[in-house]
Amino acid sequence: MKKIILCAACALFLFPAIAQAATPKVTEVTSRSGIKAWLVEDHTLPLISLRFAFRGGVEFDPADKQGLAVLATSLLTQGAGPYDDKAFQDRLSSRSIQMEIGASRDEISGEVKTLTREKKEAFRLLALALTRPRFDQEAFDRAVRQQLTAQKMQKAKADWQGRYALYRAVFGEHPYGYRSLGTPQSLAQITREDAKTFICDHMAKDRLMVAVVGAITPKEVSDALDSTFGGLPAQGAVDTLAPVVWPKETASILVKREGTQTDIHFALPMLRRDDPDWYAAEIANYILGGGGFISRLMKQVRAQEGLTYGISTGLAPMDKGSMLAGSLSADNDKAGKAWDMVRDVWQGFYDGGVSEAEVQAAKDYLTGSLPLSLTSTDALASVLLAMQQEKLGKDYLDTRKASLEAVTLADVQRVIVAWFDPAQLSVSFVGAPEAVSVTETHNMILE
Amino acid sequence: MRHYIGSLVLASFCAVFLSLSGVPAQAAVFHPETYTLANGMQVVIVKNRLSAAVAQMVWIKTGAADDPAGHSGLAHYLEHMMFKGTATLPTGGFSALIAAQGGEENAFTTHDTTAYHEVIAADRLGLVMALEADRLHALRFAPDEAKSELAVVMSERQERTDNEPQGIFWEKMAAALYGAHPYGRPVIGWQNEIASITPDDARAFYRQAYAPDNAILVVSGNVETQDVLRLASGTFGRLASAGDVAPREVKPLRFAPTSPKPQKVEMHDPRVTQPIWVRQILLPQVKADSRLSFALDVLSEILSSGEVGLLHRHFVMEKQTASAMAASYDSVRRGPVSFSLTAVPAPQADPHKLEKEIDVYLQALAKRGFSAAEVGAAQRRLEDAAIFARDRLMAPAQILGEALAVGQTMSSVEDWPDHIRAVTPADVSIALRTLLASPHAVTGLLAPAKGASE
Repeated sequence: MKKIILCAACALFLFPAIAQAATPKVTEVTSRSGIKAWLVEDHTLPLISLRFAFRGGVEFDPADKQGLAVLATSLLTQGAGPYDDKAFQDRLSSRSIQMEIGASRDEISGEVKTLTREKKEAFRLLALALTRPRFDQEAFDRAVRQQLTAQKMQKAKADWQGRYALYRAVFGEHPYGYRSLGTPQSLAQITREDAKTFICDHMAKDRLMVAVVGAITPKEVSDALDSTFGGLPAQGAVDTLAPVVWPKETASILVKREGTQTDIHFALPMLRRDDPDWYAAEIANYILGGGGFISRLMKQVRAQEGLTYGISTGLAPMDKGSMLAGSLSADNDKAGKAWDMVRDVWQGFYDGGVSEAEVQAAKDYLTGSLPLSLTSTDALASVLLAMQQEKLGKDYLDTRKASLEAVTLADVQRVIVAWFDPAQLSVSFVGAPEAVSVTETHNMILE
Repeated sequence: MRHYIGSLVLASFCAVFLSLSGVPAQAAVFHPETYTLANGMQVVIVKNRLSAAVAQMVWIKTGAADDPAGHSGLAHYLEHMMFKGTATLPTGGFSALIAAQGGEENAFTTHDTTAYHEVIAADRLGLVMALEADRLHALRFAPDEAKSELAVVMSERQERTDNEPQGIFWEKMAAALYGAHPYGRPVIGWQNEIASITPDDARAFYRQAYAPDNAILVVSGNVETQDVLRLASGTFGRLASAGDVAPREVKPLRFAPTSPKPQKVEMHDPRVTQPIWVRQILLPQVKADSRLSFALDVLSEILSSGEVGLLHRHFVMEKQTASAMAASYDSVRRGPVSFSLTAVPAPQADPHKLEKEIDVYLQALAKRGFSAAEVGAAQRRLEDAAIFARDRLMAPAQILGEALAVGQTMSSVEDWPDHIRAVTPADVSIALRTLLASPHAVTGLLAPAKGASE
């Protein structure tokens, strides 16, 4: 039985190559009126996933009307054209059409997933939701009630308290520090007129991106683009939002919460997604904290010391300024020790750099894992949409590997020195941690 | 991450979102092929041409319900130890080898089963098979690693349960609902019992449960049958079986109630900001593959299908006393089937009053019965959901593997759409009346501290 691993190596080489092409073929479809979509045509299953996004989302909430983007977009499927909320939902449901529209920090986005037999109706209903939403009073009042409840539930979570405290500290008054679900006060300020205006201002063709995957031809996509999105305004409000400026002094914030554990969240500024060094940063992050069970932080803080159940870091590319963020939880009496260890590992990473073998392991994973993100029509559509959002080429699925392979050890070292200095880390603690030093102390936000 | 408790997923909005997506626990026709290796290990293959990836799951037909008395948490702790070294592979080698091929791996423990899974490019299936087969028989229990992993598990319990009011609340609900039945104690274990686990305990459990005749391999992805069988024979097929060579029977977990009367669990905590109301009902007399069980699937869909479900329409849209409501039915288990109702009261709504309204509403519904149109619409949605389920790589491995691992048949999954189609409005009425008549119910309320401003 000891030879089983050896056999595995043999099996790996002997296993016949899979017939399918390595990556799906992406084509760009342009409709008669000039709307573009990226398409992967695949007739394996009788269904279609369509995803779309408009640049700009929660970041456009007015300071005194936080929660507006989420509220306004949630109303689009609560009545449109001739159908009130019930009739609209009945039509979707009776044909098994899945439709969701929402808002996040940098975008308004949505998805329609339908069986091919219902595609006409699916696109028709989406067109109504996007261009003729009703904003009926009853549906509006209900959406406000539901969002009040949702933001109330959110506040009970240590995780949310930690992220909110950290973002407030590093983003200050910039909308990236806003509460996407709003507050009881801000929700009370929002009117139906606000919701209508927000949709008109920010859902326009000049910021639209579309991805389609499934059993549909380019000609059908072209027609659907015009019938679905053709009625949107050509231009929306100009984006005048300034980039994020991180404070000179790092923050260390304690949010007092009863309990046995402390949630620790941390972040530092990161280079932009369109920076040529982006792939080097991906590799550096993988080695430090992004690589699951084999990352340096996980090996040391979890496996060696048993101080936490898990720790991870990730790159967050954002339109107005990217960041690297991570989190862990530890027992209150070990929280100081755990955070010190994170900083020690980080300092060693920053001072000592990484090895050729670590860089190679990161490349192996990051290049080899691509098929894992393409396992369903909607997952593939998400990737196609993200490629447009990040302004990557149509051939990204093919070029990604070469871009990663081209990164040298020296590139990674340079990026670590420029962007991974642990002295830049801001941190929040939620709980009753022992042995941590903080610059500010708050109570839990309950309002 | 390495742990999963099905019943906890119910919480609040989450449940509403899940039901919105309309994919029930076992809705699909996956066209699986099944084989049994000479050592009693069952192999299930589902071909999926959507991508260049493959998912492998290994299901052990033993879980936390099989923890010996006084040793709760043992099955889950062993699941953690499975990521440590083996006779030929150092600690960390397992994850590193998979990561080097771009793959991902994880595992989870439930009361009924323990499952290990990997997703990787399809031409690397041989590697993950060899690695799984290796740790199924040659796991090493190094004392220092065993000790630090115990600390990780205790930290996991703190993070997920002790530090969160909802975590404690669900434990109280389970204890009230199941009493002395193994489902009444947590999968992760009680903290003092986890602390007492030794490497010897884990090794004994491993020898007993981790045998090929107690395991099921499910492969879903871009593969050919003969390749999968050849690789499986060369890896899993070489494991020696502990007992006879036929697959082991799954041990059912019968429910013997001691005090069958409706109970209440009410918990107040200053960290809770929004009340949550829940009712869990056991139906020990309902067999999972019976007509009544399929009628309960349809009932759950009628009550709780996103924004067209009767509960949403009545309480969220018309009465405006709830912000979200959901129902769910779980029949894929070794123990008794269960039905749950969850409500998130609207701002200013009194949860106790809402509970009374729910009771009145369900009684009235039982009296009025269900129309052919209501039942037909739900049936059609469920049948369509079976098509959507094929658009996921892991779904067949998860759904078929779990059904087989709890002792159900392949046809309970494959013929499910036919059974759903056969349900009549009268069946659904009987299902609701059965539900309302069950004496094994617990009603729970998790609420802010008394006197706190609402």
